[in-house]
Amino acid sequence: MTRDRILGFVVVAAVAMATGFLVAGQVKSQLLTPSNQVARYQALVHSVQDLEKTNESRRAQIAALRAQIDALEGAAAQQSATTQALQNQVADLRAHAGLTAVHGPGVEVDLGNGTPAPSEGVQIGYLINYQDVQDVVFLLFANGAEGVAVNGRRLTPLSSFSGSEGEVVIDQGPPLRAPIKILAVGDRDRMVVALGAPAALPDLRDREVRFQIVLTISGKPDLKLPAYDSSLQIPHVSTS
Amino acid sequence: MSAPPRRSAPARRRPGRAIEIWLIALLVALVATVQIRSQAEVEKSLVGTDTTTLAFLLDDLHRANDALSAETADLQQRKAALQSGGSSAADRELAAEATRLGAIEGLIPVHGPGIVMVVDASGLQALDLQDAVNNLAAAGAEAISVNDHRVAIGVPIQQTPSGVTIDRALVVPPWTILVIGDANRLAATAELMTQQMRGDRRVRQATYRVEADIEIRAVITQRPFIYANGA
Repeated sequence: MTRDRILGFVVVAAVAMATGFLVAGQVKSQLLTPSNQVARYQALVHSVQDLEKTNESRRAQIAALRAQIDALEGAAAQQSATTQALQNQVADLRAHAGLTAVHGPGVEVDLGNGTPAPSEGVQIGYLINYQDVQDVVFLLFANGAEGVAVNGRRLTPLSSFSGSEGEVVIDQGPPLRAPIKILAVGDRDRMVVALGAPAALPDLRDREVRFQIVLTISGKPDLKLPAYDSSLQIPHVSTS
Repeated sequence: MSAPPRRSAPARRRPGRAIEIWLIALLVALVATVQIRSQAEVEKSLVGTDTTTLAFLLDDLHRANDALSAETADLQQRKAALQSGGSSAADRELAAEATRLGAIEGLIPVHGPGIVMVVDASGLQALDLQDAVNNLAAAGAEAISVNDHRVAIGVPIQQTPSGVTIDRALVVPPWTILVIGDANRLAATAELMTQQMRGDRRVRQATYRVEADIEIRAVITQRPFIYANGA
């Protein structure tokens, strides 16, 4: 057997072995990723993206309609003192409901995902979730916040938080993911002290240590909060 | 006729063997490329979201977009009403809006279909009540009261040494939570909540019932803004 021939066998054997490993790895990781599975998945993703686009355009439409109604009410109020008084009352109610943009002193709270801790198994504590946002928002309102917005989404008296792993769904908006920026206008000093208290936000503080979750708090002299731009319907409530 | 030189045979077989090796190398490259590309495609499309989560997301977005459509239709009607009449039409619209916002903000008594949930437990914290209120709000609650104290986002629910307070008033268990909204959605959520609560050792009782007409008389006293100014 010549040296060339031996070399040839060695090369063929090595290549065959590499092929074998690759094929085995591929099968093991279900790599023959059924193309229809990917296609189905992508169809789902596209549906979500389409719905998110519709969501965005409807919210823009709602904001525009509210501005037009406000202008029409303003014009009518010029003609009657009664209408003017009613408009003032409604303007105050709208401000408290989060339906108008406001600005003033306040705090900015930034939340960011941490890093998975191998010692913590498969826990997802390193991700910011809707309960973290809920905890911060409740704390802010309990300590002098007059208006709050989360990633540009204004909260109302009927707002709610939901979502799954690392997702934060607020009212009818599409899901948000960290980084999350919570802005609150109100008693800045009181809010800063409350957020900085060692006993405040125990779950977030614990995960700040375990997973290096990002939690930063800063007082601001003038923050702007946008108006709420989604549905505020109460079809099941009667007042009479 | 002379025998072919022995050294010429390997020389003739070399191209064949080279082709074999190249074919195998090509196969390896092909498999590797397919593997890497498939993996990249899956990772790119998954973006860390599984299909179950996506399905829930689709459901949520459909419901959200329906709610936005309803709001759009309502706003278009209000706009048309304002455009059609003078100040009397504006007065009607503004009075209706004031009542609606008063109900949303918890400033006036309200009634409607919903559920009554009773939770009796020792050692429950403000966080437990905040979670309960948020879960019910996420299930479409339109008005909530706890032990005759009106609750909405913005109303402080706090932990004090004496217990849980709502807007600085102590609320001692058992908590009777009245909720107005879509009774079916609220009942489904209440079922899950009470099931989970019954698994908590601190909880002595966690029940709910659906009612056709619940009356919430408690109201919130609105405080004027001190810091927030119109933009």
